[in-house]
Amino acid sequence: MSKPNIELQKFRTKRGKRLLSHLISTSLQYKLWIAFLLLLIVLGFIGYYRQLRYGLVVTAMRDYTSWGIYISNFVFFVAISLVGSLFSSILKLNKNLWARPLTRISEIIAVAAIICAAVIIIVDMGRPDRIFYVITHLRIQSPIIWDVIIISTYLVISILLLYISLLPDIALCRDRLKEIPKWKKTLYRIMAINWHNHPKQIALLQKVNKILAISVLPVAFAIHTVTSWLFATTWRPGWDSTNLGPYFVSGAFMAGAAVIIIAIYFVRKHLKLSKYITNLHFDKMGKLLVLLSLVYLYFNINEYLGPAFKMVGVEGEHIIELFVGKYAPMYWFVQLGGLVLPIVFLMFNRFRKPLPLLIISIFVVLGAWFKRFLIVIPSLQHPYLPIQGVDDSYLHYNPTWEEWTITISSFAWLLLIITVLIKLFPVIPIKKYRQDSEIIFKQNIF
Amino acid sequence: MKSEKKLFRYFLEVIMAVTFIFVANITSYGQDELQDAIVTLSFIADGEAKIIQAKATDQDGSPIEDLELYFYVQRTFSLLPIGDFFNTTDENGIVEIPFPEDLPGNSEGHVKIVVKILESDMYNDLTLEVIKNWGIPTRVDQFEEKRSLWAAAANAPITLVLGVSSMILVIWFIIGYIIFILYKIGKIKVDKHSHFNEEKYFKDILENF
Amino acid sequence: MGNKKTQAASRREFLRNISNGSVLAVSGLAYYSLSSCKQPSEEKTTLLTTDGKLVKVANSEIEEMEHLHQGASPEEARKGIPGKKFVMVVDLAKCKNAKKCIEACDKHHNLTPDRPYIKVLEMQDNEKSAPYWMPKKCFQCDNPPCVKVCPVGATYKRTDGIVLVDNERCIGCRFCMAACPYSARVFNWGAPPEGQLDLPYSPETSLPSKIGTVAKCDFCPEMLRQNKLPHCVTSCPNGVIYFGDEIDDTVTNGEETVRLSTLLKEKAGYRYMEELGTKPRVYYLPPVDRLFPFEETTQENSES
Repeated sequence: MSKPNIELQKFRTKRGKRLLSHLISTSLQYKLWIAFLLLLIVLGFIGYYRQLRYGLVVTAMRDYTSWGIYISNFVFFVAISLVGSLFSSILKLNKNLWARPLTRISEIIAVAAIICAAVIIIVDMGRPDRIFYVITHLRIQSPIIWDVIIISTYLVISILLLYISLLPDIALCRDRLKEIPKWKKTLYRIMAINWHNHPKQIALLQKVNKILAISVLPVAFAIHTVTSWLFATTWRPGWDSTNLGPYFVSGAFMAGAAVIIIAIYFVRKHLKLSKYITNLHFDKMGKLLVLLSLVYLYFNINEYLGPAFKMVGVEGEHIIELFVGKYAPMYWFVQLGGLVLPIVFLMFNRFRKPLPLLIISIFVVLGAWFKRFLIVIPSLQHPYLPIQGVDDSYLHYNPTWEEWTITISSFAWLLLIITVLIKLFPVIPIKKYRQDSEIIFKQNIF
Repeated sequence: MKSEKKLFRYFLEVIMAVTFIFVANITSYGQDELQDAIVTLSFIADGEAKIIQAKATDQDGSPIEDLELYFYVQRTFSLLPIGDFFNTTDENGIVEIPFPEDLPGNSEGHVKIVVKILESDMYNDLTLEVIKNWGIPTRVDQFEEKRSLWAAAANAPITLVLGVSSMILVIWFIIGYIIFILYKIGKIKVDKHSHFNEEKYFKDILENF
Repeated sequence: MGNKKTQAASRREFLRNISNGSVLAVSGLAYYSLSSCKQPSEEKTTLLTTDGKLVKVANSEIEEMEHLHQGASPEEARKGIPGKKFVMVVDLAKCKNAKKCIEACDKHHNLTPDRPYIKVLEMQDNEKSAPYWMPKKCFQCDNPPCVKVCPVGATYKRTDGIVLVDNERCIGCRFCMAACPYSARVFNWGAPPEGQLDLPYSPETSLPSKIGTVAKCDFCPEMLRQNKLPHCVTSCPNGVIYFGDEIDDTVTNGEETVRLSTLLKEKAGYRYMEELGTKPRVYYLPPVDRLFPFEETTQENSES
């Protein structure tokens, strides 16, 4: 395959060419990107090898700060995995046809994020060799077990969601892409499970789609609510809150929407899909992000106002630490830069253009990640009984390079899974899109 | 060789034990001017009140006056003193102490009562032990059999077990059903000659969506 | 002939019985010498190991582990000692931060001083009230938050009220550490200090500890099985810690034996943070009528 296959491939339509060409040709940019991600992953493996060999002592976690950035990163991944359900369920059931082209990418991100969440939680374990004890010795009373159950369920549902919307497109790849390696042909043939756009098949698929769209919603809410219960079932300041479930879910939707904006910006740019992912999509996503951010702001106020007003004991210490103490710079960056300012900017038309929206979304995602850091770590540093009689290293938490490389490599994994899935499958649903757009314009939805 | 070493070890042990007994004997022979007192205990249960009466006599049977006796109840780790701080015999050699009404015994209410003479100037140390059913019978709470959030996996609250399992069943039934439909989709035979109107189909879908 | 054989057999048995006791001492001092940098002493004693070998060991080191006993097996340890409900009372009026309890506990659980099971905390309820020392162990709660959250049942509540950790089950998720409001739990972040300790594992001794698992104060059940008091109780020079069986209604600090109900009634005993509903099995007596004046942390007792 010395010549680019794209020259040999015959596409039936211009649209097909646009949406399928990236499956065939591999650019140098793509190869460099993959090499970069693999480098980060290798660095992560070095960090993890050291952790396996010497134990969690290579991290900065100690007896008081017993959970660190692994857990906050886990919460972050769970959060952005919710975005799949936002598009495949909420926007779909509300007949937001404009969101259709973004459904596939959101489902891909959801699958990648939930896989990374499951892996990073194993990294956090002191005894990863005993991972199967959560099945062989499970105690149904433990919120961790609930989380294990719900994460595996959501993983399966996310894969099903992605697969079912992909099925007609996989069949299309099988039928139309000829100049591809043999393993790809086999992959498409097996995955297409004899799909031939038969009316009976289509009717069944529609049925499945509806069932999934409805059933993914409670599961998606449950996954992040259960994750919030890992914290809310304890007495730690900042965690001991009945607000935590909706607080986590709303924050997850906001972070997810921002991740989608970042993803579609780069997908559009690199796959040259500006005809399919238009400025109107960015505008709509910007508005959606404002809405979700406002909901999150509401729950944020709820989360902090009560404790800040009462200033009860360690809750008060925790609030002071966040508002004016050690964590104040990070806290105000998160609350202002990652929440309030994005809301303000996104109110204006000109900031809902692709590039400004991308920058704002990056701030929102950064804010979301550090927000989870602020949820996990400062709470652990304010126990009821004073921290005394321990080594000085137990008083602070500054993640070590092992923790950082492992965390960064988890992001590399996320991006790698997303990139590979986009490379293998059409990122914009092909089969329906043309029809959708006609109706969209007819109904004047935009 | 090995057995010789073992023998050596055994020998050492024996020497150590003998030394200990010897030392103990010296201490007891050193106080041979002391006599053995005779203490007889009687237990008087008068309605609610339970009284331990101790009578101290010497070898001739005459009562010992002003002898300090110590009364205890045997507990897991130590002896719990009962009675007053000092319990001294009267001119008849008798001392009476009330037994606490609310002291727990074992499951049948048995308690081991211990009476001692300790470091007396006249008499040898003495320990008497009597088991009486004067304690309150204790019932051990078999809490390990109760269902609770902190119990073992087998004793999880039944509502929790039912709730979680029904949710799992419902959602995994749906997942199973979806996979079954996918299997059915794969089994549908395609008639190569029939013409499939794609345009019409997609219009239908959108209208129904 | 036959008679001689049986004699030899019984003697061998006797020797084995001795050696079972001494092997613990041998293995104990083996790790002791790993964990400390003591000057080797000249005087040595010969000890017998399980496989019949005689080893020479410095006298000074034999003493160190003489109390090391073997606890029950992980399965057996889950049951608890029948008919008992252990309880502890800490008299804050008597504590002067001698830290002997910490030393004894560290020694018998082979802990390094930077992460002890027991902590003596300098407490001051408010600016006006007098500071006091508060020895804190695991509270062995009757409604234990740590046990509730354990996903694999590695930590469990026994019938005798003790909460133990089975470090052959623990997956190291540290949820119990986050759940414990009293910060009673410690984690084996790295390899345990003793290296390879050749002892059968028992949750009752928490020995040998394992990397990547949780540990905590265990009320020394292997001592309780022999009707002996936990090490922190016997080591306290001021009789601060009372220990006993709630069913007996009796606690003792080793010297003085009192009824639990009387002690709590007369000295206004309380449990720390009763409002959390964890129902601790450790009671405190308020720091009134102190035996010792409160002395600020000195160079001597602050070193950790």
